[in-house]
Amino acid sequence: MKKLIAAIAVVAGATFALAGCSGAGGGAAPSAAHVDLTFWHGYTEADGKVLDQIVDDFNKSQSQVTITTTTKTWAVIGDTLLPALSAKQGPDIVALPAENLPVYATKGAFVKLDDFYAAETTKAANLNPRAVDMVKVNGSYYGVPTGFVPLSVIYNKTLFAKAGITSFPTTWDEWLAAAKKLTLDPTGSGTPEQYGLALPDHATVGNGVWASLFYGNGGDIVTDNKSVVDSAANAETLKFWSDAVIKDHISPTGLDGVASDKLFSSGKAAMEVGGPWMAFVATDAKIDYGVAAIPAGPKAQAASAIGISAAVTTQADAAKQAGAEKFFDYLYSKDVATKWSLGSGWPPLRTDIPAADVASNPVVSALTAIAGTARPLLPGVANSVDVLAAVDEATQKSLAGGDPVALLSTSSGKVKSALAK
Amino acid sequence: MATTASASRNFATDRSKARLGRNVERWLLFAAVLALTLVVLLPVLIIVFTAFKPAAEINAYPPTLVPGQWTTANFARIFSDLPFARLFLNSFLFAGGVTAFALVFDSLAAYALARLDFRGSRALLIVIVASLMIPFQATLIPIYQLVGNLGWVNTFAGLIAPRAADAFGIFFLRQFFLSLPRDLDNAARIDGASEFRVFRSVVLPNAVPALLTLGIFTFVNNWNDLLWPLIFTTTPDMGTITSGLTLLTGPSGIIPYGTMMAGSLIAVAPLALIYLLVQRRFIESVATTGLK
Amino acid sequence: MTSTVKPNAKAYRPPAPLGGRTPIRTARQSAGIAIPFLLPALIVLAAFVAWPMISALRLSFTDSSGFGAEQWIGFDNYIRIFTDPQILGTLSTTALYAVLFTPIALIGALALALLLNNARLPGRGIFRTALFLPFIVSLAVAAFAWSYLLDPQVGLLNYWLRTVGIHIGNVLQDPVLAMPTVVLVAVWKSFGFYMVIFIAGLQDIPVSLYEAARIDGAGAWARFRNVTLPQLSNTLAFVVIFAMIAALQAFDQIYVLTGGGPYRTTQTVVMEIYQEGFKKLNLGLASALSYVLLLATLILSIVQFRFFGRREKDLT
Repeated sequence: MKKLIAAIAVVAGATFALAGCSGAGGGAAPSAAHVDLTFWHGYTEADGKVLDQIVDDFNKSQSQVTITTTTKTWAVIGDTLLPALSAKQGPDIVALPAENLPVYATKGAFVKLDDFYAAETTKAANLNPRAVDMVKVNGSYYGVPTGFVPLSVIYNKTLFAKAGITSFPTTWDEWLAAAKKLTLDPTGSGTPEQYGLALPDHATVGNGVWASLFYGNGGDIVTDNKSVVDSAANAETLKFWSDAVIKDHISPTGLDGVASDKLFSSGKAAMEVGGPWMAFVATDAKIDYGVAAIPAGPKAQAASAIGISAAVTTQADAAKQAGAEKFFDYLYSKDVATKWSLGSGWPPLRTDIPAADVASNPVVSALTAIAGTARPLLPGVANSVDVLAAVDEATQKSLAGGDPVALLSTSSGKVKSALAK
Repeated sequence: MATTASASRNFATDRSKARLGRNVERWLLFAAVLALTLVVLLPVLIIVFTAFKPAAEINAYPPTLVPGQWTTANFARIFSDLPFARLFLNSFLFAGGVTAFALVFDSLAAYALARLDFRGSRALLIVIVASLMIPFQATLIPIYQLVGNLGWVNTFAGLIAPRAADAFGIFFLRQFFLSLPRDLDNAARIDGASEFRVFRSVVLPNAVPALLTLGIFTFVNNWNDLLWPLIFTTTPDMGTITSGLTLLTGPSGIIPYGTMMAGSLIAVAPLALIYLLVQRRFIESVATTGLK
Repeated sequence: MTSTVKPNAKAYRPPAPLGGRTPIRTARQSAGIAIPFLLPALIVLAAFVAWPMISALRLSFTDSSGFGAEQWIGFDNYIRIFTDPQILGTLSTTALYAVLFTPIALIGALALALLLNNARLPGRGIFRTALFLPFIVSLAVAAFAWSYLLDPQVGLLNYWLRTVGIHIGNVLQDPVLAMPTVVLVAVWKSFGFYMVIFIAGLQDIPVSLYEAARIDGAGAWARFRNVTLPQLSNTLAFVVIFAMIAALQAFDQIYVLTGGGPYRTTQTVVMEIYQEGFKKLNLGLASALSYVLLLATLILSIVQFRFFGRREKDLT
């Protein structure tokens, strides 16, 4: 038996050695000019087609770089990137949700792109500085933004008309008043038939709903790598909205992002804080919808941003890296940036594109108008998983009746240890 | 048999009463099992009905079970948006390939562990069973690295080889072989049959229920596996049904439920059919066993 | 009792089983015969199971993220596991899940197997297929169906119960009810698997044993205890251990239904391993936690095996 196992180990080892020798992927030195790059992204269906078309156009526009795209969903990229990189079978460029970039960057999966940002062409592209903040980790740039949009409120115009509300609220007080008006409990059962606002209390849309509310009252989650979760401002915010839910029943409790999407699209909630895709969902559900900025809080008008970033993996050598940067230049050129914005339904990444140019897509122009209020979520924080879990626990327990101050204090402790890891 | 007229009448009514009692019992049993089955199948019914509902109705409130408006658009989309025939073939080759190899390799090994008394068989069994106790998330990356080094990424070899034998199958068949009485194989051995002959002609035919069971499980589990094909294939033409369906996800991860349910129904239908046909074989096989 | 001479196959053979010499093989001979049977499976297992397990063991002593630089850190990962209350909490949560899941799934599966093996039930084949359906639909799709049923605001079940005045809250987000609900869905999904194994085992019990028992006057329960259970003991031993191993590795159902929440009340060990390895890229820690799980499972299995071994002796 032992001999048998040893024999197998030898055979396995030999196979290894041989496989290593034969060398994967035509090892011939790259010809002076041409590089082939693989690009994984999660843009499916309509936006995917637009991006693939842009990549095609790029390939045709020059002869040194050819990019092949592979479409997988964002969740699938999340699960398959790690094994692929570990076996050196990963892509050269990968697009992924912005909050996942820091953890891969700190572990050495992505290449620094500081030279790209120092270049004149990039500076001339006038990229949204807040979008660029999302790819900054420990002072260096590890990617480029391909999408950056603030959370916004999508609302049901039909229900608004029925309740006699003619203009969308612009302050928290107006917002609460509207939500109360839109919460209907005709049978008096204590469980409303219609909710004014679908307010998730954990795993929120882009993990940004509560961040947006905190910003509105001048609070934040992490500043300068320190936890500021337990600030007095946050306690006020949490109490304000918990009371609204518990006493005025403007929203059910226990919702997460997906459930709040469902509640809105079923017509049972008049408003929801969501992302641009809700426009498609609402159209599918035959809802006459409108998009508006998150109403201003007492201290600021701000919204957390959802972002997608693209990074160059360390699998790509210098020549491939240069090829990737060429593609990014192309992507950020004015025409292409406008095309990408209209095709993806997200605001343009250049700040010098006038609203008129994107007017053909009303959702995009509405979002572009408020793009200035967008703030990146936990930029540069590698352990965003644990930080957000701690915040989720506070918000969920608070909406279930807990004490906001005590809960935020406990969460702050957890955030501190998460940042220390 | 001669009895008084009244006695024979009682005898007849007793017998028919007994028959009635048995029939009532039969139909009560049937009703109970039917009720239970309907409750258990409720989620499955939801899947079936949702496949025929338009998106607006799936999201609407109040929710419906049976579609108010039947549509085949979801099914049409499966065939128009995906290279479905290719995906189906890949699923079949992958799941079928794994099942075929696993049945052969596992039954051979299980026979050795159950019938051949060799030194170290107990230790080997423990090691094999122990390998079931580590979650695949821990071994996935080393496996992938090995498959990558062998150059088998995005090939059927890479998909099938790591699963061509599995600890579960070996353990399962070993237990089953143990439960078969040794008289038959000992009789064959005395007659001079080699071990392989005993295996092939005596033990395997009696193990048909277990082999069919293992075959079904292996096929179903691999047919439905999502993560494995996602990781081990890199081009759309090597994907399986499950991995292909993920590409129908809308922007930002919105799942088109109607289409997903339609795709799943198409994926599940062959499995259900295979099972319906095979489980009848279980009954037949018992009748042909050589056991008294 | 070892014979050193194998009877010549062509020599006189007394009619078996009377007087025949049963050829008894020496241990060494058996090993030689066993090798060709074992070889194909062993090659696959050695390459794709044993080697990755060793690899994972090595990773557990490093701070590897799967790619990039890695450093040997000795037992640090293991120390971290046993001193971090959050991680330790996942062990007890997993134990709770296993304790809830295993008996319910197995008793249910056995009861149904007996029912569906009963010759007096019409339409057995259809029922067997119908009750097997939850197993063959994929979990993601089943999760959608369950959420369509259970959603507290727009779910079907709530909508129906509303007419009789019952209102079910958000079971999947309730810290107390989330675990039982996840167990319920898991039982629903997997009982068909165990049921079919039991049916295969039941099919192989000779009818003559039941007839003999019936003649002896044994009622249904006595027949079950004295014929069915002992005949099924090998199958039972296997199923119980396998169900427990599967329960201790619960992941998919947690991932799709609750994501480990609310407040980590359904965070099982494998869910934690997944998050540490795939979301936080701490592959070393994830590997260490996997080995802790393996050891715990091994110990529990040995205990169970002893239990079944003892029972088998009692029954003979």
